[in-house]
Amino acid sequence: MKRKLSLLLALVMVFSIVAIGCSGGQATTSGEPKEEVIKIGVFEPLTGANAAGGALEIEGIKLANEMYPTVLGKKVELVILDNKSDKVEAANAATRLVDQDKVPVVLGSWGSGLSIAAGAVYKEAGVPAIGTSCTNPLVTLNNDYYFRVCFIDPFQGNVMANYAFNQVKVKKVAFIIEKSNDYSVGLAKFFQDTFKELTGDQNSVVYTGYYNTGDQDFTAQLTGIKESGAEAIFAPGNFTESALIMKQAKELGITLPILGGDTWETPEVIDIAGGAAEGVVFSTFFDPNAKLTGETSKFLEAYSKKYGKEPAAVTALGYDAYILALNAIERAGKAEPQAIRDALAATKDFPGAAGTVTLDVNGDAVKSAVIKTVKGGKFTYLTTVEPIKK
Amino acid sequence: MMRKKVIQSLLSIAAVIVLLIVLNSFLSSFQTRIFNLCGIYVILAISMNLINGFVGLFSLGHAGFMAVGAYTSALLTMSVQTKEMNFFLEPIAPWLLNVHLPFPIAIIIGGLMAALAGALIGAPVLRLNDDYLAIATLGFSEIIRVIFTNTQSLTNGALGLNALPNIGITGSPKEAIWWIWGIVIFTVVFMVLLINSTYGRAFKAIREDEIAAEAMGINLFKHKMMAFVIGSFFAGVGGALLGHLMGTIDPLLFRYLLTFNIVLIVVLGGIGSITGSVISAIVVTIAMEVLRVLDGVMHIGPLVITGIPGTRMVVFSLLLMVVILFYQRGLMGNKEFSFDWFKKMKSPFKTKKA
Repeated sequence: MKRKLSLLLALVMVFSIVAIGCSGGQATTSGEPKEEVIKIGVFEPLTGANAAGGALEIEGIKLANEMYPTVLGKKVELVILDNKSDKVEAANAATRLVDQDKVPVVLGSWGSGLSIAAGAVYKEAGVPAIGTSCTNPLVTLNNDYYFRVCFIDPFQGNVMANYAFNQVKVKKVAFIIEKSNDYSVGLAKFFQDTFKELTGDQNSVVYTGYYNTGDQDFTAQLTGIKESGAEAIFAPGNFTESALIMKQAKELGITLPILGGDTWETPEVIDIAGGAAEGVVFSTFFDPNAKLTGETSKFLEAYSKKYGKEPAAVTALGYDAYILALNAIERAGKAEPQAIRDALAATKDFPGAAGTVTLDVNGDAVKSAVIKTVKGGKFTYLTTVEPIKK
Repeated sequence: MMRKKVIQSLLSIAAVIVLLIVLNSFLSSFQTRIFNLCGIYVILAISMNLINGFVGLFSLGHAGFMAVGAYTSALLTMSVQTKEMNFFLEPIAPWLLNVHLPFPIAIIIGGLMAALAGALIGAPVLRLNDDYLAIATLGFSEIIRVIFTNTQSLTNGALGLNALPNIGITGSPKEAIWWIWGIVIFTVVFMVLLINSTYGRAFKAIREDEIAAEAMGINLFKHKMMAFVIGSFFAGVGGALLGHLMGTIDPLLFRYLLTFNIVLIVVLGGIGSITGSVISAIVVTIAMEVLRVLDGVMHIGPLVITGIPGTRMVVFSLLLMVVILFYQRGLMGNKEFSFDWFKKMKSPFKTKKA
């Protein structure tokens, strides 16, 4: 009995290998008769730890697809794959997009690590990818096929350091860094570099505290800050932990200004931190009140019509990635990976919903950042910071 | 009889090699990738099966050993420029910067480092039993991850390592299949020989009854240690291959979830069956990709179903439950594939007992 079953299973195994073979075959045969469709691949975390972020970006991409359903007179078809917030799956999904679905251009993903894992695949296959909110400099570095519509962490760190020095007018800062998060570690480093330069003081960072994702208690780090003589706190990191930091700082009687990065723009921060979130300042990609381009108003109108709420910054970036891809296909005149890549590389002053996009040599967007604060339990627009001209 | 078995084994290895040649020429790059991933999971599952299945030590430290192997091999094979590009926060330790070794040597060293880690952790921990051992090894793999997150100048911390060289010497993607499946064949042959040797019999004796085994004169600690170190060696090699296949590693990749993926494969295949581990590693890896269809929009005749992301995970879990309900000891129990099956297949009604 067991023997037969194991043979049966071996057959199932062979069959499943054949099955993936066939699924590839079908994709190509069904693609040939319907020439008029242009496929755009999307890989986003739709399940797993980053699912919330991925879903927001998909919202933006789908909205853009509804508003601009055609390019070069052909219908655009979105091929959306889930990367499970997992690097192995991200690379699998990427290979599937370029190899099975034969998409000429890919959008995504939320999370730099996932983008980096997939980046190697796109580079090898020669298919261009447009990153939505992956801010790590390594995503596009040494990869001619990865572009992005968001600014990168060095710029964000720079913006916040400038804000701390010029607007908050402080000379000494303390860091609380999420050690296991590449985003947090990177941002703190870039903030520190700029801040030291601005103050001309090598010891302008008076305290650096670390924590791990999932930590609940930050008393030790906050007590350290209290005694260090810092005038402001820079604490980029995951929103749950950051909200707890705000809350516990207030409980310890710390009234220093708290600064952070774009991950804070989630309702959870206000939910968890409550009143303690009042006055925290962070940089982000986009705000409905900072009417950046003509495309912004179009996007806002369509979004509130469909969802009846204000869009998140990453939704605008998803939207931008899609319209940039369409624009590049139009400029290339054909839906071929190499032509699209060259068109993308030449992008200049492209009006997106979240600001004007100009891609530099690395494929990174040079664009303005928005600084926001929390006021009366709501995210409030403070100011827009223009990109640094190199 | 013995001679016949050797010939049969050699023939089946030859058959696998022919299959690889055929597959390598007609598989697309996506299918090759999944196939290679299958191979890596086979190595990982077999190495875990040695510890968990044959010696009966419930160890959950696999992700830790894989991390050691992956980081070692990555740091040894990366070029000086790649290292400088990666370590932009804090420069790499100077003695590591100029180390550059060919791929085959690097993965062996990766395996040896994992084995060393296995020996270090095994010495104190193997005195524990069952649940306690599981907790201790799980803790160990988390410790490795935390250490790698904090040694910025050695492992680049949370940023991880990117742009790892491809598997192989020439850097061509077509080469990967040979390295990975070559190592799979080596691992399977090695494990089969080990399991059928006197050591293997001692392992099984320990699994069945420790006290009886000790009474028979088996040195418990020595044998447990041996299995643990060999298992971690192959886990390290598997981790190194995974790193090179993906081209990027970071500490978060080696969370305990990775260990449970492998536990799942081992349990599904049958605890204590190499054949089971091989089949189940391949089935699980391919099933995850095949089931992706469920996430998308499906057209069944006139019926259109809009996919909900995550459906495949639900279906996959249901399938797992069904399998485990009907095969309570995994697909293969503790049986192994043998050519005798085919002989018995011809007259299944005469020999009723399997």
